[in-house]
Amino acid sequence: MTRAPLKAFWKSGELFVWLTASGVALSLLMIGALLGLIMVKGLGQFWPADILEIRLADGRTLIGQPINSETIPHSTSQAHPDGKRRTRFRVGNQDAFGYDFKWVDADAVVAQAKPFDLTVFNRREWGPLYGRVRALYREAAPVAEGPAAWPALLPLIEQANRLHERIHRIEHDEIGEINRRLESLRLQRQALRLDNRLTDDETTTDLGLQQTMAGLEEEYQRQAATLDSLRRQAGAYEVAVSLSTGQEVRLPLSKVITALRPNEMDWSLKTLTYLGNLWEFLSGEPREANTEGGIFPTIFGTVMMVLIMTVAVMPFGVMAALYLREYARQGPLVQLVRIAVNNLAGVPSIVFGVFGLGFFVYTVGGTVDALFFPEALPNPTYGTGGILWASLTLALLTVPVVIVATEEGLSSVPRDFREGSIALGATKLETIRHVVLPCALPGILTGLILAMARAAGEVAPLMLTGVVKLAPDLPVDGQFPFLHLDRKFMHLGFHIYDVGFQSPNVEAAKPMVYMTTLTLIAVVVLLNLVAVMIRNHLRKRYAASAV
Amino acid sequence: MADVVKDQEARLLLLPQPSRRPETTARQPAPRRRAPLPVSIHTIWLRPFLDRLAKRIISLGGIAVIASILAMLAFLVMEVAPLFLPATARPIAQTSLAKPPAADEPALIGLDEHRNLAYVIKQDGIVFLELESGRVMPVELPPALQGKRITAMAQSGNPLSGHMVGTADGLVIPIKIAITTVRLESGARAKQPSIAAATPIKLADVPITALAYRAGDHGSGIAAVTESGELALIRLGSESDEHGSEAGLSRVPLPQVQGRLSAVALDAPLLNLYVGTDQGQVHHVRLTTPDRAEWAGAYPAEGTDDAVTQLGFLIGDRSLVVMTRNGSVSTWVQVRDPSQPGGWALRQNHRFGPQRASVTTFSSSQRDKGFVTGDALGAAYLRHATSERTLLQLPGTGAPLVSVALAPKADGLLTYDAGGRLTLYDLHNPHPEVTWGTLFRPVWYEGYDGPAQVWQSSSGSDDFEPKLGLAPLAFGTLKGTCYALLLAIPLAILAALFTSQFMHPSLRAAIKPAIEMMAALPTVVLGFLAGLWLAPLLERLFPALVGMAVVLPTLVLLAAFLWRLCPRSFRHRFHHGAEAFWLIPLLAGGILLCLLGNDAIEQILFQGNFKVWLAQAFGLRYDQRNAVVVGIVMGMAIIPIIYSISEEALSNVPRNLVAGSLALGATRWQTVVHMVLLAASPGIFSAVMIGFGRAIGETMIVLMATGNTPIMEWNWFNGFRTLSANIAVEIPEAPHGGTLYRVLFLAALLLFVVTFAVNTVAEVVRQRLKSRHGHA
Repeated sequence: MTRAPLKAFWKSGELFVWLTASGVALSLLMIGALLGLIMVKGLGQFWPADILEIRLADGRTLIGQPINSETIPHSTSQAHPDGKRRTRFRVGNQDAFGYDFKWVDADAVVAQAKPFDLTVFNRREWGPLYGRVRALYREAAPVAEGPAAWPALLPLIEQANRLHERIHRIEHDEIGEINRRLESLRLQRQALRLDNRLTDDETTTDLGLQQTMAGLEEEYQRQAATLDSLRRQAGAYEVAVSLSTGQEVRLPLSKVITALRPNEMDWSLKTLTYLGNLWEFLSGEPREANTEGGIFPTIFGTVMMVLIMTVAVMPFGVMAALYLREYARQGPLVQLVRIAVNNLAGVPSIVFGVFGLGFFVYTVGGTVDALFFPEALPNPTYGTGGILWASLTLALLTVPVVIVATEEGLSSVPRDFREGSIALGATKLETIRHVVLPCALPGILTGLILAMARAAGEVAPLMLTGVVKLAPDLPVDGQFPFLHLDRKFMHLGFHIYDVGFQSPNVEAAKPMVYMTTLTLIAVVVLLNLVAVMIRNHLRKRYAASAV
Repeated sequence: MADVVKDQEARLLLLPQPSRRPETTARQPAPRRRAPLPVSIHTIWLRPFLDRLAKRIISLGGIAVIASILAMLAFLVMEVAPLFLPATARPIAQTSLAKPPAADEPALIGLDEHRNLAYVIKQDGIVFLELESGRVMPVELPPALQGKRITAMAQSGNPLSGHMVGTADGLVIPIKIAITTVRLESGARAKQPSIAAATPIKLADVPITALAYRAGDHGSGIAAVTESGELALIRLGSESDEHGSEAGLSRVPLPQVQGRLSAVALDAPLLNLYVGTDQGQVHHVRLTTPDRAEWAGAYPAEGTDDAVTQLGFLIGDRSLVVMTRNGSVSTWVQVRDPSQPGGWALRQNHRFGPQRASVTTFSSSQRDKGFVTGDALGAAYLRHATSERTLLQLPGTGAPLVSVALAPKADGLLTYDAGGRLTLYDLHNPHPEVTWGTLFRPVWYEGYDGPAQVWQSSSGSDDFEPKLGLAPLAFGTLKGTCYALLLAIPLAILAALFTSQFMHPSLRAAIKPAIEMMAALPTVVLGFLAGLWLAPLLERLFPALVGMAVVLPTLVLLAAFLWRLCPRSFRHRFHHGAEAFWLIPLLAGGILLCLLGNDAIEQILFQGNFKVWLAQAFGLRYDQRNAVVVGIVMGMAIIPIIYSISEEALSNVPRNLVAGSLALGATRWQTVVHMVLLAASPGIFSAVMIGFGRAIGETMIVLMATGNTPIMEWNWFNGFRTLSANIAVEIPEAPHGGTLYRVLFLAALLLFVVTFAVNTVAEVVRQRLKSRHGHA
């Protein structure tokens, strides 16, 4: 090769063109890798992987599911030029072993097999348990032993799950209802005593309240008795499982959610189980400090919060945009306001959180409490974080998005339309209602959806205004007044932070976090895609007329 | 949804077609097909009325929304403002003792937590007074005190744990003053004072002139100066056997100290004894073991020949307050100093504005590092050590102050002057520890060797000195932002250049939304990946990252050259912009290569172990969650923002300029560098500014991907704490209305103002660019 073409090549700058191309390539690679990583790590976890039984060089056996493997850092040597490998297994049985995961060096493995009778029990506490089913007991008397135990086990687990559901219903709904009514009666009595003395009328009322309370107490006792008998019934069956160490444990069926033998399942059954697990994840309640179970309350909380926010942000955002575009006298002042609104979208979300905490929670909430709920003080009702305050904070955060998008939509409505309408005798209001707003609707919707997407993904302000790691009740339920704006709620984004960083067993929680992440991204990307589609639609419609 | 839209289109199409209109008068509005407006007599006044009403409502609503933005700023300012309001004091009660003290007669006063009752320990006994009414409460003096002339008095750090008095006949007597609150039947509160005394201890035959007393978990101690100039130290063993028994009593022989001794102070762990002389010296005596004491140095308090009149400790017994006859007040702390015997030296860390007369009395707050000094002209000064501030000056009556006392809740100040007057002031002093200086400049805190920028807002103990320096947090914010911009600016601008200039519009239409979609990714997702996936990975694979920095550009160069060698016919088969797609597998391959070769790179460049190498070569420590991780991930978060805006600016450069340049023979790269980039530079600048603003306020990523350690180092490999993450971490625990709460509001206000300013600059630049190209 001669020097001339090289020099020409250098001078032409083509090299730098390629360099700029690498910017695009790297950005795309990053997005792709990121989404791929989350998908693989998240969706993979529900697959019922085969269980391995491994014999180690030191004579021990180990039963578990392989999670990942890696080269041991700094392990290259003459004998192992590529370094030694090791694999991490989930061995479960955390209550018996004290650990959940175990690294196994490839060197240490003597033999490994996949016997069909290895069973994994998903438990309500202590994570999974791996082992072999030995026998089935009822009230400590054997019902089935050996190979007969497994077929007998499955219907019993189903039955135990049904019982568990009933117990949960009684605990949560019926006893919960009694407790709520007791609490409200207590507050009523407290309210009577707010001025430190009782009039005769009030004394009569108070006595009535006391009687109602006594009646409720009785009802409570009755429910508790039912609960007791159900619990005994649920605890009747036990399954004996032998662990990898040879140790045998008795597991009450009331603690078992599912029992699976992945090694004897074919792929169709596995797919079915996979989908079942996925559904369970999306629709179930969290267990075990959020490291297991489902994320339904977080999805519900996120959706609820976004909806309340939308209700708040929609009228105000549109009104402000209408004012700026249709009513205000255009000039430097309006231009300044426009810039300010625009910039507000760039103010860090945590600042809004701080404002929400100081203004909504402490100032407004504290005032509401003092005026309307004095009997509950010093326990705050609205003077603490809650879904209403979180939604309003986010509404403030997203109102610039709506204003900007609505303004854009309004300005894209051709002038002739307005003039036509006015020329036909319509008032300004009628023009806006019947001509401008319908035309600008896609723009407004785009803004609204973008605002919803932004709100769904924001976490920092929520941490200050009402999100919690575990909310006992959903913000909407069968209790009057059905929508509880003062309740704290769970949120997908905060769930990621909490489970990933505050959880006692981060390693076991990781798959959950990836899956939660995937759900959140799905929600946000879906909303954004809808917004993009609407925007494109809008552009096409006015491409011709706007000129 | 689709149907609705279609319907609207249909309606729009209808508008300009008069033939389809139903018969109407000219005043009738534009028709709606489904629901024509009712025509009636009411509409004649109703319609204009509605129109005006709507105008009012919309204007009001619109202005309200916009005003709420301003209100937000105002609210933040309002929450912050009390930090900088001065302390106030208001006299609320004054009463006099029947017999004013004689000249130079000492006294010690105190009051209960509700500020109802005061006690005065004076020469001839102890008096309790109701402050409101001035009524003297009859309390019998314990026998041990009866008939004694009290010449010196001291209180333990916390007045509840007791007092000590010294008498003219050389005795020291531990006493306990208790004020209990009882509820009367009427519901009112009443105070019941009582005094108890323990067995006197004989110290000398001459009067005691100065006393220091500390009682704590490790036993209690008394330091006393006698009229003959002797210094004595007595340990009393643990608190339980203090009363009545002398079992734990031991006298500690003390080294000789020169000069006449005028003041003495003892710390609660009974490790340090300080003695002031009338020559202006403060002597330090270390009490190393229970029965040994050694002299550890003498320090001039302030100038020479200026007698030390008072010595005292701030809460926690770590800061020594030295007061002198010419009115100077300063605090001193121990710092490590190998040249001193014992390895510790006393250093002055705060100096306060001097008083105009000899400082005669002192009282420290039980709540914070505040204290009060009173002087011979009757003025009382309220001061705070951390902020080195004199918060208040109370002129007084002119009669010298004999004793001052801060109320236990630090909400009141009681003074006792030579005229026998007791004056109670209501103190309002909510945020004494904060000034602009303590927030942003180095402050010499207790336990530090010199002034430092520290953020440490809380700790387990009550006598903790809050360190509210925002500088480390502001530094952390800038550090995170810089590292993020370091990655994001080049990548985003390169990508924007390529998409806008070298890419076929059809490709561009697909690529641009794809990159912009990244902006929609919730940052909590990025933060989670950074903290739990990238950080542990990078810890092992950092050498691969270094490898990538070399390998990837080389690969790009190679690709460019190979492409050039390809036949023209082949090259022309692809759209402009296909380069990027060729590069994706190539770069992915390069990255994979580096990852696989990680160990080899580590072997070659870093002698086999990167972390060890880092420590040896630069003395740096590698934290798992560090600035590089944040840089990469936060970079990813702001790439789409910078990309989107600069791409827009670049594509808006008029095509005729580009075409002209190309026609004159410039290559496409020359055109871009000399023409397009220049024309779009304000737009790119504003893109960077907006990216900067975004990175500054980012919370979740830094919260999850840094260790949140508030340190000030530019080191690539350690963590930091940003203003935003700090707010998220601390505000849920900050009591409403407290100093920390307001300082965090200040941090939020700072973020607000900075991002708002940065964005405004960016927006103005962008608007100007727009109008310029609009004219072009």
